[in-house]
Amino acid sequence: MDENPGLSEEYRRASPWPLFVALGLPIAELGILFGLVPLAVGGLLLFFGSIAGILRENSYVSSTWRGLAALSLVVVALGLAIWYWDGTTQSDLLVRAYSVLGTGVLMLLAGVGGELFAQDAEPTL
Amino acid sequence: METTGQLLLTVLMGAFLLGVAAFLARVEDWRSYTPLGAGGGAVGESGYGHAEKPAGLIRWFTTVDHKDIGLLYGLYATIAFVVGGLMVMLMRAELTTPATDVLGSATFYNSLLTSHGITMLFLFGTPIIAAFANYLVPLIIGADDMAFPRINAIAFWLLPPAALLIWAGFFPIPEVIPAQTAWTMYTPLSAGVGNGNQMNVGVDLMLLGLHLSGVSATMGAINFIATIFTERAEEVTWANLDIFSWTILTQSGLILFAFPLLGSALVMLLLDRNFATTFFAVEGGGPILWQHLFWFFGHPEVYILVLPPMGIVSYVLPRFSGRKLFGFKFVVYSTLAIGVLSFGVWAHHMFATGIDPRLRASFMAVSLAIAIPSAVKTFNWITTMWNGKLRLTAPMLFCIGFVSNFIIGGVTGVFLASIPVDLVLHDTYYVVGHFHYIVMGAITFAGMAGIYYWFPLVTGRWYQRTLAKAHFWLWMIGTNVTFFAMVLLGYGGMPRRYATFLPQFATLHQIATLGAFMLLVGGVIWVYNIYVSWIEGPHVQSGDPWRLDETSLNTAEWDWFDAKRETSLAATDGGEEVKADGGEVVDGAPADDAADDE
Ligand code: HEM
Ligand SMILES: [Cu+2]
Repeated sequence: MDENPGLSEEYRRASPWPLFVALGLPIAELGILFGLVPLAVGGLLLFFGSIAGILRENSYVSSTWRGLAALSLVVVALGLAIWYWDGTTQSDLLVRAYSVLGTGVLMLLAGVGGELFAQDAEPTL
Repeated sequence: METTGQLLLTVLMGAFLLGVAAFLARVEDWRSYTPLGAGGGAVGESGYGHAEKPAGLIRWFTTVDHKDIGLLYGLYATIAFVVGGLMVMLMRAELTTPATDVLGSATFYNSLLTSHGITMLFLFGTPIIAAFANYLVPLIIGADDMAFPRINAIAFWLLPPAALLIWAGFFPIPEVIPAQTAWTMYTPLSAGVGNGNQMNVGVDLMLLGLHLSGVSATMGAINFIATIFTERAEEVTWANLDIFSWTILTQSGLILFAFPLLGSALVMLLLDRNFATTFFAVEGGGPILWQHLFWFFGHPEVYILVLPPMGIVSYVLPRFSGRKLFGFKFVVYSTLAIGVLSFGVWAHHMFATGIDPRLRASFMAVSLAIAIPSAVKTFNWITTMWNGKLRLTAPMLFCIGFVSNFIIGGVTGVFLASIPVDLVLHDTYYVVGHFHYIVMGAITFAGMAGIYYWFPLVTGRWYQRTLAKAHFWLWMIGTNVTFFAMVLLGYGGMPRRYATFLPQFATLHQIATLGAFMLLVGGVIWVYNIYVSWIEGPHVQSGDPWRLDETSLNTAEWDWFDAKRETSLAATDGGEEVKADGGEVVDGAPADDAADDE
């Protein structure tokens, strides 16, 4: 990474995203561990949404939507992995697998949809 | 979970996400018309925002400035220290009588014991070090900020949820009870096997919280390594890199290898508990596997906690000895040696488990060897002070206290490293005495040395000198009373981790409790002093409050402070009477004289 704090004019000493990355992770973990669908979905959205926000803020991606779409692949992969594990253990992991997969698909749709239709809403950072 | 519950949760989650969206929209607005270059938001005369203003509060939630994050870490660690300290005061109160007369239940005692250990090591120890490192390392090595400022902020913000999860069992949530596994979380107890109550979700929540704190520490470590490698100013070379940054670098390396392992072991334990895997089950990997994994993390963890405090002492102690650190190179080498060796000693925590005697002997050899670099450091601190011009300021007193307590802690450790001795003393209060001499007597003392030493740098004000010295003496005496009594209890055969004991141990336990109350009083004085002095302490009168220039021992962070003072608009009203702690000249008379008369 060639992040160069203090040199690039993009650099700021404040960012709203880290707090929500840090909140999203435990919520998602709780949701997935205990099979609580709303927490799993919401936590993953918060976590990856905020990462997408950071990627945009750093100009690693040109829009938050693209970041979201790219990250959705990670979530889908995680969902598939849980789906696979469901077959290998006695525990019932299907609900967890579906909620993670569902979140991934949701993110992909949001990313693609946002990129196509919501360009103007993208805040000019 | 039944449908209504899921629905309720969905609504709550939805409302929460909407709240986040609203907050983000607001922050984006705020950002579009607030100039952000100078650190964002309202900046008070000390250089920090006013927390009471809404803009000020948002500033703290969104900051990626290493100094702000350092302060957040410091606040967090202080809160955790108070919580962990109050927990242990309840335990010490319980231990004044042989039966469970005070708390009424051994279960509650066990919960406090578990939470005290985890809180102090993971929520106080690691974060207080991160506080110093975040604030100071970039200043000392001349970096603009950390290499990855946002990752820095994420690492901090993972900690509050971690604390909530770790303490969740104590909150009045139905059917959630606190973990009673002790900080080592040994299986099979922690796997919830048997008829006990450790299958409770409270244990899962604690494991998750611990996992989060590990993620946080790892992110921080990566950041420090990247910062020290790539962000140094041109004039800062490897040859003249300061000792504190060296210890942070080594510590970060240890974290990088140790914490991910803890994280994986915790995930395995969670899987065993919730999804019927058999990593630590007798028919699978076996309970001893947990001990190996835990201590492969756990022993490096104790050095993760002690190396940076050693760095602080190596950094601060020479300033008040009037001379440079004796044998600087060897202090660096011994730091690196400890870093490497600390991965080769973990089984000294398992001498009594019946592992192969040949393995045991080799772990004994390495454990004895690691005492050598520790001793090298100790001799270097002593020789630095030898024939020096000592100024017994509060930070210096805490440094000397560190050296003294570290010697007792280290020597008791060497005895434990010897297998025959350990087989007698293992799981007695002797071990508790040993490691508290280090975690309280050394690590926490160094933290206090750092807090008093850099208090003027951070706040631009002086703390109350008399209170600081009262704090030191209460703690120095309190630490030795408490933990030496524990060493003696261990010799007597008092096993650790019990809420009750045989009447013959009562006197020593009461003495230990007396010492603990001295620690409590000292701690209250410390919090009061820091709080009041931060708000209304007298302003420092120069950019070199400790008069380091006189002995040519000035360092980069004070140059930064000096420059900040000069450019700052804050007027220094010279009329105030300043009681400097052996530092600046007060009322025409050198503060040394003032410091001498006590
Ligand atoms: C320098 C910082 C040190 C710290 C922070 C530290 C910390 C600890 C801690 C926390 C324990 C307790 C583990 C448990 O729950 O059972 C412990 C035990 C032990 N320590 Fe240290 N220690 C330090 C130095 C040393 C040294 C220098 C040695 C030996 C050369 C040593 C040898 C031991 C041994 C053998 C045990 C296991 C005792 C037992 O459980 O029977 N320690 N130490
Ligand atoms: Cu050890």
